[in-house]
Amino acid sequence: MTPLEELLFRLADDEYVIAERYTEWQIYAPTIESDLALANIAQDEFGHARLWYDVLEERGYEEKDLLWERDPEDFRHSTLCELAFEEGDWADPVVRSYLYDTAERLRLEALVDSSEPAIAGRVGKLLSEENYHREHAQSWLERLAEGNESHHRVQAALDRLFPHALSIFEPGEQEKEIVSQGLRTESLDDLREEWFEITIPYLESLGLSVPEPEEVARPDARGRDGSHTADWFDLHESFTATYHELGFDQPTRLRGEGA
Amino acid sequence: MDIEEVKERAGPRAFSPKDDLPEEYRKAATRMIQFHANSEVMGGYLDKQFTRQAPSLDRKLACTAKVQDEIGHAQLLYRAAETLGVKTREEMLDELEAGEGKFLNCFHYPVDSWYEAPMIDFFVDGGAMRRQATLKATSWEPYAHAMDKVCFEEGFHVKHGEDILRELMGSSRANQEKVQKTFDVWWPRIVQFFGPPNKDSKHNDFAQQVGLKTVSNDELRQAFLNAYIPKAEKYGLELPEVPKIEYDERSERYELEYDDLDWEEFWTIAKNDFQGSDEQIGSRRKRHEAVAWVRESMDAWETSQRAPQAAD
Repeated sequence: MTPLEELLFRLADDEYVIAERYTEWQIYAPTIESDLALANIAQDEFGHARLWYDVLEERGYEEKDLLWERDPEDFRHSTLCELAFEEGDWADPVVRSYLYDTAERLRLEALVDSSEPAIAGRVGKLLSEENYHREHAQSWLERLAEGNESHHRVQAALDRLFPHALSIFEPGEQEKEIVSQGLRTESLDDLREEWFEITIPYLESLGLSVPEPEEVARPDARGRDGSHTADWFDLHESFTATYHELGFDQPTRLRGEGA
Repeated sequence: MDIEEVKERAGPRAFSPKDDLPEEYRKAATRMIQFHANSEVMGGYLDKQFTRQAPSLDRKLACTAKVQDEIGHAQLLYRAAETLGVKTREEMLDELEAGEGKFLNCFHYPVDSWYEAPMIDFFVDGGAMRRQATLKATSWEPYAHAMDKVCFEEGFHVKHGEDILRELMGSSRANQEKVQKTFDVWWPRIVQFFGPPNKDSKHNDFAQQVGLKTVSNDELRQAFLNAYIPKAEKYGLELPEVPKIEYDERSERYELEYDDLDWEEFWTIAKNDFQGSDEQIGSRRKRHEAVAWVRESMDAWETSQRAPQAAD
């Protein structure tokens, strides 16, 4: 795998898998309005995944290699994206989206001046959408953090998700080359520091306690090296089962040429 | 305005919240729009499974967008129902999870396979679109207005549903056979989608007299059969032998043997007493209760936001 491919798989897989999870809330969200908002976000993320997978397709991959027939161990997303939701635990998608979208903005900003034009040219559209996602998560966080039960639920979600969120910044095999070739203009270590500087004070300002990054127990699965939690293997099985049952020659594209 | 005047003035988009309308009209309109809104929500319970199962990224995006549209339609329709001043949205949603809210017969049958996607997204939605198109001329203006947007979006859903059917029927023999088997099960339900024959319909007459409905159940069913039987056949589906449906060359109509259909099941469903009703409504109740804590905490939050201003 080239450094460019590693970078693209990390981007695309994160977006695809988190969107796959978000759609589980459709029809089940607390109100009609929150249902619509989260559905919007899920669709944006699917759209972003498609956009990054497209860049890989321009380099010879086919959709079936990228999603439908790829071994689950070959996916490179952060474990934050793959975790199953507990029924009714609305605090989880809110906290997850805040942690993810804050990291996503930093990561995209470090791609604006990418040496790869196929990446640099696509970042602008994504950044504007990620801003909306973060605002959405923050407005929910600020409300939920005030209540009694809801505060506890947010704290519990944060405790559970934070160690997994650290895997967003887990380097892959080609991390050095990704930076030295200017594909991404900042290292993952620097991005993680910036992410701490934003998320920790913000969450603390809401009265939440943030786990100490250096001391928190990290899960064995780090995502970026293909190790994943059991939730991922269940999810992968559930979204590929119909594809295999149908046995079509190709996953269907609905976009016209050049669209 | 009394009911006689309502009947006299009834016409497309004739009445709006500015009119002083009799309770009988407002209740009938509420019942109809609430049924429609509930159906959008409960249809979503079936449709959301197809997002997970979709066998390509583009299809997945189309499926998730469709579920979102349905919730958007529910939002619009509950709002249109609220304008009648009979029930609030909260009351209607509470009724739905309590098993008191009514919705389309087809959404009382749980689904579990992709072969059912064209049944819901092509045939049921195609039928719904027929009905909704006539409701652009309903007498309650906010309802008609909602239909403008709903119909526009439904057009995309039905096209996608048709494309799923085309793809399945153009694939392996095994797939074709599974679609046919699924169609055999769904077809009678779809024919019943338009309700009982006119002579057995409880609400038809009044709803038509006051312009809420512009076309009868039988006429809608006929228009649907005319359009969708040729489409089903075009993709290689065969109509099951029961219910018996014969094309009459002279009248250019499909003659349907109404008694071949299971009306007992239909009326059981209409009372939400069917086994599938329990499952679907139970799922709704369970999901809605699981997030009750969020709604409660939002209410508390809104109260706390208002409090400081009240003290000033």
